[in-house]
Order: sequence, then structure tokens, then C-alpha cells
Amino acid sequence: MKGASMSSRPIPVPPKGSTLQWHLGAPYNHKHVLALLMVLVLLLVTGHRTEMDRMAVMTTQAVGNVIGLADESQVVRGLSRVGQAMWPPVVATSEEVGRIQDLNREQLPWLSRIEMQERVEQKMNLQTLQMEAHSETVEVLVQPLGYVWTVFVKMIETLEIALWGTILSVLLSVPLAYFAARNYSPSRFTYTTARGFISLLRSAPELIVALFLVLAYGFGPIAGVLALGLHAAGFLGKFYAEDIENADKKPQEALEAIGAGRLKTLWYGVLPQVLPQYVAYTAYILDRNLRMATVIGLVGAGGIGQELKGRFDMFQYGHVMTILIAIFIFVFVLDQMQARLRARLI
Amino acid sequence: MIRFESLQKVWPDGTRAISDVSLDIPRGQFCVILGPSGAGKSTLLRAVNGLMQPTAGRVLIDGTEFNTSTQKQLRQRVAMIHQHFNLTNRMSVASNVLAGLLPAVSTVRALSGWFKPAHRQKACQLLDRVGLSPAHLRRRAGDLSGGQQQRVGIARAFMLDPEVVLADEPVASLDPKISRDILTLIRDAARERNATVLCSLHQIDLAREFGDRIVGMRDGSVVFDGTPAEFTDERVHALYRGAHWEDTPAGEEAEALVHEPQWVAA
Repeated sequence: MKGASMSSRPIPVPPKGSTLQWHLGAPYNHKHVLALLMVLVLLLVTGHRTEMDRMAVMTTQAVGNVIGLADESQVVRGLSRVGQAMWPPVVATSEEVGRIQDLNREQLPWLSRIEMQERVEQKMNLQTLQMEAHSETVEVLVQPLGYVWTVFVKMIETLEIALWGTILSVLLSVPLAYFAARNYSPSRFTYTTARGFISLLRSAPELIVALFLVLAYGFGPIAGVLALGLHAAGFLGKFYAEDIENADKKPQEALEAIGAGRLKTLWYGVLPQVLPQYVAYTAYILDRNLRMATVIGLVGAGGIGQELKGRFDMFQYGHVMTILIAIFIFVFVLDQMQARLRARLI
Repeated sequence: MIRFESLQKVWPDGTRAISDVSLDIPRGQFCVILGPSGAGKSTLLRAVNGLMQPTAGRVLIDGTEFNTSTQKQLRQRVAMIHQHFNLTNRMSVASNVLAGLLPAVSTVRALSGWFKPAHRQKACQLLDRVGLSPAHLRRRAGDLSGGQQQRVGIARAFMLDPEVVLADEPVASLDPKISRDILTLIRDAARERNATVLCSLHQIDLAREFGDRIVGMRDGSVVFDGTPAEFTDERVHALYRGAHWEDTPAGEEAEALVHEPQWVAA
């Protein structure tokens, strides 16, 4: 038996010196290899500049530490410190009764109770100018699920911000898309202007836009909604417009042939064809906005992020943990809902 | 009715699609245009409703020259039936047929989809005329078979009671039996309205059967013009001699003819 395999009828080839004028070359040559090498070198350089090598070392160390091979790891130490500070998540709120106005002791809020708590406070003794521990007993109103409720309300606000951000972006991007579609824009000028505007909207990240909008509109959801809406309008405008440009030309031609006019042609020849994609884009934007809305509060634009930032700045990591868990559950539930909705729609 | 006066078309790349075609087609005639691929059949048809701007020469419909100022008005009198049906696939059959009215209804009516009951009635009548049933009304046009889609296309074309019907290879992607049905529909519906039909075809037998007159085109020129009886087998051979049959059918040629809409920003 010749050769390793058992297959083996030799592959028939044309005899040498055949006279065909054209041939099929090898799939790649030295140029490709050179290009690949250059890409590799470039990756190595940028990898070093972004400390990817150090990351690899530290991560390996951390993994080693966890499985008991390395006895020191900066990463594990840092993580466990954070973990300790954040555990347990805060669920309840307690407030001194003395600070609550008009508390009706007969009708306390749901699930809440009044407790006596001992508070130890450091106070300065004015005689000795020394700090002394004072303990005092105060009456507090404990709401066992109070903080969860607070976070829930903030979550709803976040959802509303995302929703309105999406509505705003759709309202903005539909006319934008008309002017930014090369084959429907009334003139070259409107086309370029619309495209430029779309690029501008898209180039500004939500967080940075929100930062400025907070200066203009003050803290709260307005800045959040506007920031999300403007950025997403750039995104949707681009995609809506490109769908109009790439839509099947045949029905458009049929309507053009009878002189239907631009707007009607768009409505009857293009929109029905691109609608499923439009729905998909908009759903994606809603999904993205939901996640962005949780972050955007970090600069004061309302929602759960604002709460998170506040707690983080006050070193209340237990509260932060509750918020993070809430965000996770929120995103998870939305994903599930979306998956179900999609399964039903498509 | 339709008059081509020394029509010429040269594509930007220098290809001569039509060189000096002059024709006179009287009202009510079913005129078949035959010829191998690339003969300029579709280009000639598209000159009638301005989907193609001729390089030289002109087209007159009922004595009115087709140009940018008469375009809007003339296009409403000229219907078109397409090889690939050109329906909005994801839209219902009913809406596709009603879309045939678009140039004649107000924008508000068009965008809201609220057509007058009489117009909706007309759409039903035409759909019935082309052999579809009420069950088809709400179905998506793209879900129908090719023959049924072309029936919808015909119903759409006749919504405005056109004086001229351009049929650009209306049966090129259909089987022989259905082709015959479709051409019968076009011919009869046109006769009922005394409309002129300009129909390009690939099938010689169908051309002989349905045409009142056959115009043979080759490389952008008219090389035969006469009745089906005059279109003898020798004439057929002369028309197609040396033509590349294998390049002929549906696909590429049709795709290449689907241009950007004419009112694209220049």
C-alpha cells in the first residue's frame, strides 16, 4: 500500500505542458503572511501599552491563589475586601422617630415597626477636648423592606426613562431617516445635512451628553431621557435610512411608474418591506436604553444610577450591593420577557 | 395612440440600447415586442412612462409629448405590469391593488390607508375579474404563487382604467399554462377598456397567439413589424439568428433594468 490512507486512487491531474491559457493560483502568498506578521506586531505593541501582559500575570496569580497554588494575589485581596464591605446587602431602612414629621403611631406603614435602639456616638467633651463614646437609646421606625421598595421605585423610574428615551429617539429619527436616505432626500444638501447631524448625534456618548444636559436641565430624569433619546436617534436614523436605501427597488419602481410620488411610494413600496427590521432596531434600542438608563444616573440624570452613585460616595456598600442585585434581576427579567415576546412575534 | 419618434438611448457606458426607433401604435392594439435579450424591448417600454429617459427622440401619448412637465399627468394614464410582479411583498393583496390608485388620491387618504368605499369596491371587482377570491384580500402578496402575484399586478394596473398598458415580459417567470391565462386576462381587460397594450415577450408562440401586431427588435432596432400571419418561421430565424439563447431568461437582465428611482437627487 502506498501512502498512509486507504483511500487512494491518485487524483487525476492534467499532463504537464497543457496549453490552457489561465490558471488558478495558490490561495495565499508571501504578502498575506507579511500582512499577518505586521498585524501580530501591532497587537503585541498595543497589548503591552494597554497592560494586557500584566493583566495575564495578575489573573493567573489570582486563579493560582484561589486553587491554593500562589499564596499572594493582589486581585483576590482587593475583591475580598470589596466583597466583605458589600455583604450583606441592605434590605431595611431605619429612621429615628424624632426626625419623622406627623408619624401616626396607630397607623404605621405596612410591615414597619418601632424599635428602641442603642446608638453609640462619638461626641467631643468640651471640657477635656477629647472624643468620648456616648450611648443613647432612641426610638426608630424600622421598615424591613424599606430599602428594597426604594430601589424598586427607582428601578421603575429607570424603566420610564428608557421608555421615553426610546420614544423620543423614534420620533426624532423617522424624519431624519427620510432626509438621510439618498434616494428620498429632496436634495444633496438635505442629505448631507441629515447625515452630518446623525453622525453628530451618534458620536456623542450618552454619558457625556447627559453630563452637559444635567447642567442645562438640572438633576433628574429630563437629562436622562434627552441623552438617551438623542444618542439613539443618531443610531436609529442611520439604520432606518440605510434600510430605505437598500429596500427592494421593484415595488418602488412599480409605484413610480404610475406617478405615485415620493411620500406615497415610501409608504406603500418601502415601509411595509422594512418594518420588521425597524421593529428589531427599535427593540434593540429599547434594550440598550434600559441598560444605559441604569448607568446614566451616575452623572445625575435620574434613575437607579443616581441612587447608586449617592450610596457609593457615602461608602454605603451594603446599599450598593442591593442596587447591583436589583439591576441584575431587572436586566435578567427583561431579557426573559423579550425572548418570550420575540418567540411570540416571529 | 403611442408614437415613438426616432427614439434613441445610449447608456452612460456607451452601449446603444435603442437606435432610432419610430413606431406608431393605434388605440386598442395589442402590440407584442419580440426579440433576443438585450434587444432593447424593456428599454423601449420604459420610455413610454419615463422610467427611462431617451437620449434623443421623443414619445407621444395621444399627441402629448412625454417630458418632465407632462410626466405626472401621463403616468396616471399608463399602467405597467412587470416581469417580477413588483408587488410590495409584505403588504396585503388588498393594499397592493389599492396602491394602483395612489397618484389619484390625497396624501392623507393614502397614508392613513382609508380609501373610499367605492375604491375598495373597485379593488374587489378587479381581484374578482383576475380570478382571485375574497380569501386572498388580507393575505400577504409575497405569500402567493407567481401566477397569483401577477394577477394582483394586473388588478393593480387596471385600477386607474389606463389608456395604455405596458407589460414588460409579464409571463417570463411563469409556466406555459399560466402564461396563457395571464396574457388572456391582460388582453381581455385591455379590450374592455379599449386600452393599448405594449407587451414584450420571449415566447414566439404566445406572441403569435395574442398579438394583433408583432414588432421584432434586434440590437436596438426594429427589424420586423407586421401581423402574426406575416411573422413566418423564416422571419423568426432571421430575428434570432446567432442570438445567445442561454443568456436569455429572467434573472440578470431584469435585475439590471431595476434602476434607482428617477427622481433620485442628482
